[in-house]
Amino acid sequence: MIRRLVFLLCAMAAAPALAHVTPPVLLVSDRDAVTNLLAGSKRYFVREVRLTSAERQAVQKETGWAPDEDFYRFYLGRDNQQHDVGAVTFLTEYTIHGPVRVAVALSPDGKVKGAAVVEVSEETYPWVKRLIDHGFLASFAGRDAHAPRPQRGGSSMQGFYGDIIAGLVQRAALLYEAGILKRAHS
Amino acid sequence: MNGMHLSRFPLSAKVFCSLFLLGIGCGSLAAFAQAATSVGISASAVRASLAPDLPMAGMRHGEASAEREMDLGELSSAAKVWMRTPLLIQTSHTHLFGQTLISGLLGLIFLFVPLREALKAAIVALPFVGTLVDIGGMWATRFVSPSLSFLVITGGTLFALGYVLIAALSMHDLWLRKETT
Repeated sequence: MIRRLVFLLCAMAAAPALAHVTPPVLLVSDRDAVTNLLAGSKRYFVREVRLTSAERQAVQKETGWAPDEDFYRFYLGRDNQQHDVGAVTFLTEYTIHGPVRVAVALSPDGKVKGAAVVEVSEETYPWVKRLIDHGFLASFAGRDAHAPRPQRGGSSMQGFYGDIIAGLVQRAALLYEAGILKRAHS
Repeated sequence: MNGMHLSRFPLSAKVFCSLFLLGIGCGSLAAFAQAATSVGISASAVRASLAPDLPMAGMRHGEASAEREMDLGELSSAAKVWMRTPLLIQTSHTHLFGQTLISGLLGLIFLFVPLREALKAAIVALPFVGTLVDIGGMWATRFVSPSLSFLVITGGTLFALGYVLIAALSMHDLWLRKETT
């Protein structure tokens, strides 16, 4: 009886161990990410854009990524003379290990000003931390939505998460270009 | 259960059950701390983490964009988990499996505690019901009404209450009950 009970307990305990997604690791608050990435801003604005069907199709045709029909939010920073300092948006990718949430800052010309990883899962953190420590996020500065992705090197999982982050940075640049830059020029 | 009580278990089984209950207790405390720091343990914190993301700039249906000036104070200064639907699916699948199995293991031990059947049935059901109310409350907060976030707190409380009762009564039966022949 006892042996059967112990066997049953062990068998039941094995399943959740295999299916576990580790808890989130929060690296920075939204407010701190916006403040740091839009340094020099005196006033802040929130702009929400909903891409038209044509804009979504254009992005998908070029990159293979299909933007949502829902709205995207940009936090804009301006100086005292009302000149744009930049815009920050937050994007998330849900991987098998949990979410990866990134804040991306864009210059008024659509080029990447900077990027910060806001949230990852506990399991993902060591791979992403190595990327951060090696300056991977800084390597996006000055690139636009169409520039090739920077080299990320490292282990296969580090490379996988490098691609995830690079994809999110590119999506942010594409959204800014389609939802703000091109509309301003049309 | 069929005359088989925890107090009659051999020493090895008593140690096994006790350490399992202790481990689940420690795990529950760690989970509570994790929930408190990453989301918060008030209904308003759960609502902030789970409620649908409404436009901040006052964009109406059909509008392509909208903008307004904001104060940085409107952005969270705390690093908090922001649960969107894909994360809700991940959380539901892991927690429903994990908590249901934990409830099952706790219940399995508790079945050997000599108690009135009605009372035993009520206590053994608490962790299961708590899990369903907890996870169901997350979905209800997201898709029915943000005001239902209290269900998540209620569910967690039921689970904790069930664990405490099961652990206390089982430990009492394992180590303190005197066998009368």
